[in-house]
Amino acid sequence: MVCEICGQREATFHFKEVINGQVRELHLCEVCAREKGLLEESFFMPDFSLSNLMTGLSSLEVPFLKEKVERCPNCSLTYEEIRKKGKIGCSSCYHTFREYLIPLLERIHGKSYHSGKVPTRKEMGDEKSKQIYRLRRELDKAIKEERYEEAAKIRDEIRKLEGFEKGERNESSRNS
Amino acid sequence: MSLREIADSQSFWLKGDGPEADIIFSSRIRLARNLRGFIFPPWADSLTLKRVSEKVLDAIKRCNYLKNARLIDMNKLSSIERGFLLERHLISVEFSRGGSHRFLVVQQGEMLSVMINEEDHLRLQTIFSGLQLREAWRVANKLDDELSEHLDYAFSPQFGYLTSCPTNVGTGMRASCMVHLPALVMAGKINELLKGISQLGLVARGLYGEGTASHGDFFQISNQVTLGLKEEEVVDNVERVTRQVVGQERKAREILLKRNGAQLKDQIGRAYGILTNAHLISSQEAINLLSKLRMGVSLHLLPEFDMKVLNELLFLIGPAQLQIKSGKNLDASSRDELRAKIIREKLTGSY
Ligand SMILES: [Zn+2]
Ligand SMILES: [Zn+2]
Repeated sequence: MVCEICGQREATFHFKEVINGQVRELHLCEVCAREKGLLEESFFMPDFSLSNLMTGLSSLEVPFLKEKVERCPNCSLTYEEIRKKGKIGCSSCYHTFREYLIPLLERIHGKSYHSGKVPTRKEMGDEKSKQIYRLRRELDKAIKEERYEEAAKIRDEIRKLEGFEKGERNESSRNS
Repeated sequence: MSLREIADSQSFWLKGDGPEADIIFSSRIRLARNLRGFIFPPWADSLTLKRVSEKVLDAIKRCNYLKNARLIDMNKLSSIERGFLLERHLISVEFSRGGSHRFLVVQQGEMLSVMINEEDHLRLQTIFSGLQLREAWRVANKLDDELSEHLDYAFSPQFGYLTSCPTNVGTGMRASCMVHLPALVMAGKINELLKGISQLGLVARGLYGEGTASHGDFFQISNQVTLGLKEEEVVDNVERVTRQVVGQERKAREILLKRNGAQLKDQIGRAYGILTNAHLISSQEAINLLSKLRMGVSLHLLPEFDMKVLNELLFLIGPAQLQIKSGKNLDASSRDELRAKIIREKLTGSY
């Protein structure tokens, strides 16, 4: 078997990663494996990932949406630039490009809203953010328990709060 | 070399005193955090990185959890020194490439550390011996709370903690256990097992080498999803699955012992023989043999060894460790010689 990176030397290292029942394998020669840092203990670092290593984040592509030319007001990157590098520019990008990111996050995580911890610092969690956060949890629960009528109401409430906050109607319909 | 002290001190997570530590090396939690308004490291210019590092270092100074922690400026390290930190599980490959305004903050015992300006502004890590993922989470969570008192984290009510890679957004948490599964590998059951794990929404990862290269008995189990689940749910899930894996490995060991006892004992005995007598040994060969030895000790087929000694030998015989320890650059054959010497001494106790 030939090395998948240089295509020349014999592949003697076989990396395997199984995610969601999908097996990803990578066959490399010693030189390339070493160059990619795979022969050190790094292999066991929590962030090591074959898919990231090989493809960057080509999965950032959102096929059914036209790329918008808009730039993030904070870091001035376009979505195109972000997609090419596979890395988001700054915290504002998440708002600027949310219509791209929501379907993407759903593909990666199966969900597009957070339900874990919230920063403790007082100024950060202003009342409205906290309320939105609480409502999202309720929404999640309502959907799980198939109380759809209630879920619709909660969703409306969240939209109202978000719209008020951001001064726009967002794409959260995609989010349901 | 400034890292000598770390080289001579203990990694607490290698002590092997945690629950199930004969099969589970370590439980690790990593949290990714960024500062609001600052451009993320992959895109940031030097001035931004500098300002971020100043803010973070200032917050760290005020942290009780990181009192007396050591501050390491990645830019001031040689490539061997960076390799040393990598082998020691303190930094990532990406971070080991160095660069300005990048720092590692590491608490004594190495159970707690923070990388500044890696892919995210902060990467918090806790690492514990054996199956102690809940404890690792508890400490990481506390450290995170403490830091967030002094830092304005990038957080959105919808997406959670914002990260430079969308695969980390939400909790920003990766919970992982490193496991040693030689019997499942010998029994040819490992592929099936990895598949099973991945169907539970987790990532199972292994490295198979041919001939000389092998970490073949070592695997990592971690969560894939970071968005939409609570941290505790994820930690419980990874811990539960890892516990099942331990059960399977123990069963596989029993069966091997029953059906192919002589063969198993022979392999372990030979590993012991080579390790205690070799004068030149590559790290790959050493890892292979130490893996067998480790199983032998766990099955009481060998004289009582301290798990700590075996763990340290497994993880602290990399090329960079040896060179930092000896305080000089060594070529491959001198490394093999020094490695063999250290292993002989540690295993036979003759110093
Ligand atoms: Zn190659
Ligand atoms: Zn931006």
